[in-house]
Amino acid sequence: MMNYSYQCLPKTHFLKVSTFHPFFKFNPFPYTNYAANTTHTHKTPSFTINCNLKNVGKKDLLSQKIVLSEASPPPLTQDNDVPSTSKENKASNGLFKKLSKRVLQILSNLPLAIGEMFTIAFLMGLGTFIDQGEAPEFYFQNYPEDHPVLGFFTWRWIFFLGFDHMYSAPIFLGMLALLGASLMACTYTTQLPLIKVSKRWSFMHSAEVIRKQEFSESLPRASIQDVGTILMGAGYEVFLKGPTLYAFRGLAGRLAPVGVHIALLLIMAGGTLSAAGSFKEIHVNKFSMDYYESGEVSQFRTDLSLLNMDGKEVMRKTISVNDPLRYEGITIYQTDWSISTLQVLKDNEGPFNLAMAPLKINGDKKLYGTFLPVGDVNSPNVKGISMLARDLQSIVLYDKEGKFAGVRRPNSKLPINIDGSEIVIVDAIGSSGLDLKTDPGVPVVYAGFGALMLTTCISYLSHSQIWALQDGTTVVIGGKTNRANFLRHEGPNTNALKVYLIDEFYKLKCNRSCNSSLLPVIHTFNNVFK
Amino acid sequence: MIFTTLEHILTHISFSVISIVISIHLITLLGNEIVGLYDLSKKAMIISFFCVTGLLITRWFFSGHLPFSDLYESLIFLSWGFSIFHMVPFFKKEKNLLSTIIAPSVIFTQGFATSGLLTKMHQSVILVPALQSHWLMMHVSMMILGYAALLCGSLLSVAILVITFQEVIQILAFTKNLDSLKKSVDFVEIKYMNRNERNNVLRKTSFSSSINYYRSQFIQQLDRWGYRIISLGFLFLTIGILSGAVWANEAWGSYWNWDPKETWAFITWTIFAIYLHTRKNKKLEGVNSSIVASIGFLIIWICYLGINLLGIGLHSYGSFTSN
Repeated sequence: MMNYSYQCLPKTHFLKVSTFHPFFKFNPFPYTNYAANTTHTHKTPSFTINCNLKNVGKKDLLSQKIVLSEASPPPLTQDNDVPSTSKENKASNGLFKKLSKRVLQILSNLPLAIGEMFTIAFLMGLGTFIDQGEAPEFYFQNYPEDHPVLGFFTWRWIFFLGFDHMYSAPIFLGMLALLGASLMACTYTTQLPLIKVSKRWSFMHSAEVIRKQEFSESLPRASIQDVGTILMGAGYEVFLKGPTLYAFRGLAGRLAPVGVHIALLLIMAGGTLSAAGSFKEIHVNKFSMDYYESGEVSQFRTDLSLLNMDGKEVMRKTISVNDPLRYEGITIYQTDWSISTLQVLKDNEGPFNLAMAPLKINGDKKLYGTFLPVGDVNSPNVKGISMLARDLQSIVLYDKEGKFAGVRRPNSKLPINIDGSEIVIVDAIGSSGLDLKTDPGVPVVYAGFGALMLTTCISYLSHSQIWALQDGTTVVIGGKTNRANFLRHEGPNTNALKVYLIDEFYKLKCNRSCNSSLLPVIHTFNNVFK
Repeated sequence: MIFTTLEHILTHISFSVISIVISIHLITLLGNEIVGLYDLSKKAMIISFFCVTGLLITRWFFSGHLPFSDLYESLIFLSWGFSIFHMVPFFKKEKNLLSTIIAPSVIFTQGFATSGLLTKMHQSVILVPALQSHWLMMHVSMMILGYAALLCGSLLSVAILVITFQEVIQILAFTKNLDSLKKSVDFVEIKYMNRNERNNVLRKTSFSSSINYYRSQFIQQLDRWGYRIISLGFLFLTIGILSGAVWANEAWGSYWNWDPKETWAFITWTIFAIYLHTRKNKKLEGVNSSIVASIGFLIIWICYLGINLLGIGLHSYGSFTSN
């Protein structure tokens, strides 16, 4: 997992733990007489700990190791010592650098970013309360000057700020752009350097510094090697250098937020991308609808052919809602349907094409109706037969007086006699609502979506770091974590770390082969934490 | 009809079981903590969890699609989500404070779902064409799980605000009456300590300082739990919004329509993103982040119910007016 640590540490000795062998020998080299060129020569160890790893009790021990090192970790390279090429340009260059640095500093300021997010959230909320995209008269009526909303908000404000089209208003887009700039600045100034810092591990040489950490405890009469063994068992990467220890876990959880920000930028970039594509001919072959047993519409489909300039069919597909046709960046969606015409035979005359009109009724169910006049068409109060249809399956007919006359299916050829005239419904012709779209931004946005989903998931891992220092017979241990999860199976508790360590020390005691110097420690702990 | 009877039985069992859980919580709040009662409340939560699961499965089985098509079903699913978040720490064998907050939440959502307001919706309805998609299942389930987690987490933050508010009141009360202060402090603190901690407290000489220690530790614990759960909810919400965007692109031809419901989901996302960022800053951490999370609590309800009550936009399927 942590391969780079090999490169960082030329003078490092790794102890690989074999799970097949229940005991492993832990040989910390004496700090002072370590020979750099004899990495594999085992010198007489100052002391040896044999411990049964089963007591430590973790499955994934293969990847665990304790690193003992004499060399200090590689120093962090300085970013700001890039030499200027020419001395004449130095002044202006420096000014520019100063300015850009200042801008970056302001943009990457966290309270500013939080303020931007709050503003955007507020504007979006406002956009749902003010009706969007209405005619100016609507706003004159609803936000009049003589009765301003909240005492000041009138239509003048709406038009001045562009709140009648909030999501394309300059203020809103400007805020989004500013947030995007903040995101970039933060990623550049704070998050990318974080990756560099994370690559090196830092030991703490003073007990005071360790005590200042988020969590800190001192364990009397304990040895740092035992702490290392226990932490390794808990899934930590452990690095030991003389009397100091550094351990971490869940580094990915620390780095993933960088990915989250980059993914968000990608989505923003994709959203701004837009261009038009070339157009070809589309031929609708057939429109059909599926029904549930109860007669309600379950799905509607359109059989489409895409023809190229020569009139040759290049693609044919039956599309439905949720199943669009995609061809070279063009997407054709099935969005809606309606009934356009009714073909009717009246007394074996015709067929007449009657245009169907959508009728507005309560609820969102569709209803179409048409009217076949009977008698004198030119008389002022002409009466006739009304025909209503919810779908293409059945037509309901009403007579002149508005009384129910019967139901007929199209294509059934079954005549119905209303008010002395024989009506045959030949066919009901539906029309398909198609939406045609070309959007080159979609792949970018989808890439952003994928990256965002992945990195947010990884961000949930918590990155925990632990430092410890042997101070005489006492081990001072401290640590911090970014997602409130120190040890895998502990609740988020301030002294979880201590309780865990005591627990593990206790387990070590149970195994007789552990360092006898620990026994009094365990004894003390047992008394305190019963 | 077997289905309706079964559904009724399951709803009633889970509802009454949770009422018992809440009364147990009240008893433990008023009196001392009794270990047997605590176990009982744990078991009762499991029973209600299985009842709600059974309810959802029967609905799924009889309607032939996942039970997300209307408000009633989504509320039941929300209460199921609450019970899930209650179950997770239970399997980790941790004593958790969540059940105190979750049990009332479950009873409110279930009570609302089964109340007379929504009786018309109890019959499962057929899916309109736009809802027949695999993305729907991912979108709606992730959204509701996210809402459940975020509601839990933000309720914990509200609890922090209430406790710290109490602290302010206690400081004021100190000048007036010292005895009443002591009583109120004892009452508040002891109910949250388990037996070990209490023994530990008794061993310590300075009683009041240990109370302060446990108070601050309890607040810290609430804070950490809240943070953990909100991060999880944020994860679900992100996946939910993104899968919803993909679905919208398939169904309506655009991945973002600025429809009121999705706008409010985005507002919720932004607010909780702010919460997560306030946690990064030492100055803003603590009460400030709790305030942000409490705002988030209100915004989730606007997003979840408020928009449906209005029944506007493309998400009007689950509204009151659709039937």
